[in-house]
This record gives sequence, C-alpha cells and structure tokens, in this order.
Amino acid sequence: MTRDWFGSLQLRLALRVAALYIAATVVVIVVLMSRAYDTARSLSDGELMLRATALAKYVSVGPNGVPRLDLRVSAAYDVPSVTDIFAIRDAGGRVIAASPPQFGDLVAAWPRATDEPVRFSVRLENEPDRYNGLNIKLDSGAGPLSISVARSNESATGAYLLLRKFIHDVLWAVSFLVLASLAFGILAIRSGLKSVRGVSEMASAIGPHATAVRLPDKGLPSEIRPLVIAVNRALDRLEQGFAVQRKFTANAAHELRTPLGIITVALDAMEGNGELIKVKADVERMNRLVDQLLRVAQLDAIALDVSGTTDLNDIARGVVATMAPWALTLERTIAFGGPDVPVNIKGNGHAIADAIRNLVENAVLHSPARTEVMVSTHTDGTLSVIDQGPGILAADRQRIFDRFWRGKGVKTPGAGLGLSIVQEIMKMHDGRVAIEDGPEGGSVFTLHFTLAARPPLSGT
Amino acid sequence: MRLLVVEDESRMAELLKAALTRAGFIVDTVTLCADARAALATTRYDAAILDLGLPDGDGIELLGELRSGGNQIPIIVLTARDTIDDRVCGLDRGADDYLVKPFAPAELIARTKALLRRPGSALGTTLKAGNVTFDTIGRDARIGDVWLLLARRESAILEHLMRRVGRVVPKSVLEETLYGIGDELESNAIPVHVHHLRRKFAEAAATAQIHTVRGVGYLLVESKT
Repeated sequence: MTRDWFGSLQLRLALRVAALYIAATVVVIVVLMSRAYDTARSLSDGELMLRATALAKYVSVGPNGVPRLDLRVSAAYDVPSVTDIFAIRDAGGRVIAASPPQFGDLVAAWPRATDEPVRFSVRLENEPDRYNGLNIKLDSGAGPLSISVARSNESATGAYLLLRKFIHDVLWAVSFLVLASLAFGILAIRSGLKSVRGVSEMASAIGPHATAVRLPDKGLPSEIRPLVIAVNRALDRLEQGFAVQRKFTANAAHELRTPLGIITVALDAMEGNGELIKVKADVERMNRLVDQLLRVAQLDAIALDVSGTTDLNDIARGVVATMAPWALTLERTIAFGGPDVPVNIKGNGHAIADAIRNLVENAVLHSPARTEVMVSTHTDGTLSVIDQGPGILAADRQRIFDRFWRGKGVKTPGAGLGLSIVQEIMKMHDGRVAIEDGPEGGSVFTLHFTLAARPPLSGT
Repeated sequence: MRLLVVEDESRMAELLKAALTRAGFIVDTVTLCADARAALATTRYDAAILDLGLPDGDGIELLGELRSGGNQIPIIVLTARDTIDDRVCGLDRGADDYLVKPFAPAELIARTKALLRRPGSALGTTLKAGNVTFDTIGRDARIGDVWLLLARRESAILEHLMRRVGRVVPKSVLEETLYGIGDELESNAIPVHVHHLRRKFAEAAATAQIHTVRGVGYLLVESKT
C-alpha cells in the first residue's frame, strides 16, 4: 500500500516533536551559556580586583616624594610574557608604573578611575591578543591611585578554560540526547499508532462485496475509538441497505417476470390479426425494459467479483455465437476477429459478456439491413464493436451513457439503458468505453480492460 | 416424447403444457417438489422442465438430489432469478440448460428439442430442418425426396449443424470432428466443404440455409416462410 507521506499522522507528529526538541535545546543552551559566561566574568573580575588591590599595596611614596611601585613587583612583571598587564596612575594622572610600558602610554590618556570599577578592552601594539581588564580607584600608602589591570584573552583564566570545555562537552551531549530522544519519540509515535494503522488497513479492504467486515475497536486510542465505532455503525446501516436492495431486486425480478412470462407465452399461442402482432411487440419491449431495469438494479446492489482472469477472445466469440442467429433474423450479420493468442484480462466474464452483448445489440439495431457488425479484440486488452449505422454525434457522446437517454427520432426498441449498463460494468472493471467514428461511417465502441498478468486457471 | 413440467404458477403451467403439446410432446405438469419426485420415480420421462421457486422447496435442491441419485434425465431450469450466481449455481448442480423468464415458448421448445437430440439420448435419430432431413444412424441426408450425395466430411459437418439448428457451431468443433476422419486437414477445408454443402442445398431447393459467422463458426437456419 502506498501512503501519502506528507499527510501521515506519524510524520506530522514526528515533525512537531522534532521542532519542539530543537527549540527547547536551543533555549537551554543559550541560557546555560549566558549563565556560565556571567559566572566566569564575575570570577575573572574578582581576580583582577585582587591583583589591583595587591598592586596598590606595593605603591609607596619614594624618597623623592613621588609615589612608586615596589621594585620587586615591577621585576616580577618584567617577563617576556605579556599575558598580564597593568598601569598605575597617581591622583594627578601621572603614570607611576606600567607593564608593558606601551600600556602605560595608552592609559595616560584615559580619564581617572572612579570608585566603581569600569571594564575595558584594549589592543596593544605588536600584540596579537585583545586584553580585558578593570579600571579602579584604590587608596594606597601614596594616596588614591587609578589602577588598570588586564589579562589577555588567550590566556583566559581557569574559569574561561573550564567554561569552554564545559560548552564543548555540553554541546555534544545535548545533540546526542536530542537525537536519541527524537528517535525514541518517533518509535513511540509509531508503536502508539500501530493499532490505528491496522484498523485503517482493514478499513481499506471494505467494499460492496465485503460489507460484513467490522473494524476492531479494542486497543485503540480513546481519541480514535469513537470514530471507529461510528464507522462500524455506518457499515451496519450500509450492509443493511445492500441486503434490502438485493432482496428487493430479487423479489422484483420474480414478481415482474412471472406475469410477463405468462403473458408472453399466452400471446404466443394466439393466432391473430395485425393488432395482436403489435401487442406482441409491445410485450417484447416491456420484457426488454424489465430485463434491463433489473440488470441496472443488480449492478447497483450486487457487488461484482472482478478479481478473476478471463480470455476476452472466448467471451467475445461466445457473445457473437449467441447473438448471430438473432441478428440473422433481422438480416444483419455479426463477425468476430481477434488475435490467435488469448487476450487475458482481469474481470468477471459474465459481466463482460453482458457489456459486449449490449453493445452488439445496439450496433445491430442501428445498422442498415444486410450489413455486418464487427466485434474485434486486440492484444492490448481492448475490444471494439464497429457498425455501419448513422454514427453518434459528437455532442451526444457523453449523454448517450445516461440512463433512459435515447437518440432523437430513434425507432428501435429499448429504453436507453443498455449503454449505461455497459458503462457501469466498465467502471467496476476500472475500464472505460470510448466512442469514435467508424472507418467507413458508423461508430466504433471500444472497451478498454486491464490486461491480466497471468493466464486464467481454467476456461471462462 | 414425454415431458415433466414442474411449475407452481398454475397459469404458466397451463400455457406451457399447451405450447409443448402443440409442439408434439406429451406433457405432465406438477406443482410441488414432492409430486415431481413421485412422478419421476414412477414414470419414464424424456426430459423435465423445472421452475426453481416452488412452494415446498427450491428446485435447485431437487435438481441436486436427482443428480446425486444418478438420475441423468435432461433438465431445463426455468427461473425469474438471473444473477450470475444463480445461473452458475443451476448449471453446477446439473441443469442441462437454463432459461430466464420471460421467454418465448419457441425458445423453450427449441432448447428441449436440442437437449433430446444430444448424444446419449436414444431419440432424435432423424434430424430435421426445413425440408432437410438427416438420419444419424444411416448417415444419409435428403432434401425433400432428393437424396444428397455427401462426402464423409460434408456429412459430418451437416450432422453437427443439424444437431444445433438455429445455433452457431464453432469452427473449432467442426475442425475437431474432421481431424477424426483421417487425412490432413488443410486450413481452408471447412469453408470448402461448407461451400459444397451450400451448392447442394441450392441445387435441391432446400428450405434451410447455412450461414457463416465470420471468426466464430457456422449455423444452419430454416428459411423464413
């Protein structure tokens, strides 16, 4: 069974669940990261603060009355590495000490620091990295100082290192979790919908010939049970309707045919004048009408088993053989032509014979005397009936299949049911009827059937 | 020839009896399954005409009963039911033919005669169509009082056609018959033989004709009077 994937409940649920998972994951990651960065930043702020305080402790008033940094500290900073930098300015804004010196030059131009620490970010000449730091005003042995401390991005503090590793790990873990739970979710959806799938497969098997099937409502989700129960009730009514219709058709057949049969036989026994011949013709017409009406009713009420395989040649030959004597009495002939190999098609042989019989009957009745009606089959599973009659107007070709439709001025007997019967039978076979102009006037009715994959097991 | 008509519709039974009697049969009618059983057990009938819907049972049941009891009497089933299932069921249960009501009595008579002509039946050794007669035992044919000189194959074809007057005899059936009569069969053998038969019919002013149903076979019909 082919399923429309985009209309599938499973796919719709899975898509929604996946979207939900991804959105939730993104939110979680963003929140986690921003919290983590906040923490890391306050940790590194604290560290910078400690350094600034430590530096302030080592500033004292030198012998020349000028504030200076303890030489030991300067020496400690005087290493090739430039991961940690600082600059100290006195209350007058003069740079007391700086490492490296170019940071001091840079800071000299800055406004003095306030009690409230201010973050900054700078880039030094000849250094690839960016430095993040704090500007703060601190008291020292040499009065208030503006201290600027910073650290390169690259040699981020332990907090940042941890953070990076954490994000790396979390991203992997989260994506894995998302995928795993998505897969689990889809599996859960599938198994949850399994019972629904089973029911829908059963439902698709229901047809006019299998009206007794009811869908099981056990083990179904509570949302779907009412639907299934309602469908089952509808099926009950449907089956009942079919049964009533079948019974009615059978009764009507019996009740209508018995008196007609009696009249037919009784009239036949009478010898008489022209009036009697007319009455006989009328009864003949009535018989035909009743017969066709019953056939229409049967086609409506009784499901046809079209699963069989049958040889179109056999059926057509049989119909021609049965109808040839009747055609002869009307001074017409019927001929058959077909390939030497069987034309195996799918369908119900009796119904197909019925359809062909109706076409041949029409063709014979609409042909001039002493002409031939040709029935031919083809290896592509088509059968055509060609007559030498007046042909069918293009405008009438659709209406001709309507029940009780008859051509204008048509004098032939019949109620206009034959072609609707043909069309009904073709519909049941997933086939169609086509009308074309005949090669030498007249019309061609072609029935298109589906070829069978394998030959029939036995004759028709 | 004696026929049993099993039909519960009294008017129909009456009319059938009249029609069949006019056609030269001796006819008994019964209306119940039970009566039919009794009649068949005590009298030798050449054929039975059986309506399916009977007051005391279904004709199909009776049919099955007769056949399983070894009774091979030719039976034509009459019915108002004509769904395909009904038809197949009737023939499966051993009906020899099947007629759906309403039908022309002529059709019933023709089918009854056809049944009685079938091999296995001792009757109908002389076949007739118009002024053509064919003796199936003596294997000679006459048109009026004129004896026809027929080749073996021609007489075989004529016999088949005469056994099924008014009905098409498939070409394949004729071919099978002719294969049985020695010699190779040329592809146009049957048309040639039929052509000869037609010429002989015409020469002797036969009141029956052989028609060709192209692609299917041949049929012999009595000329319209």
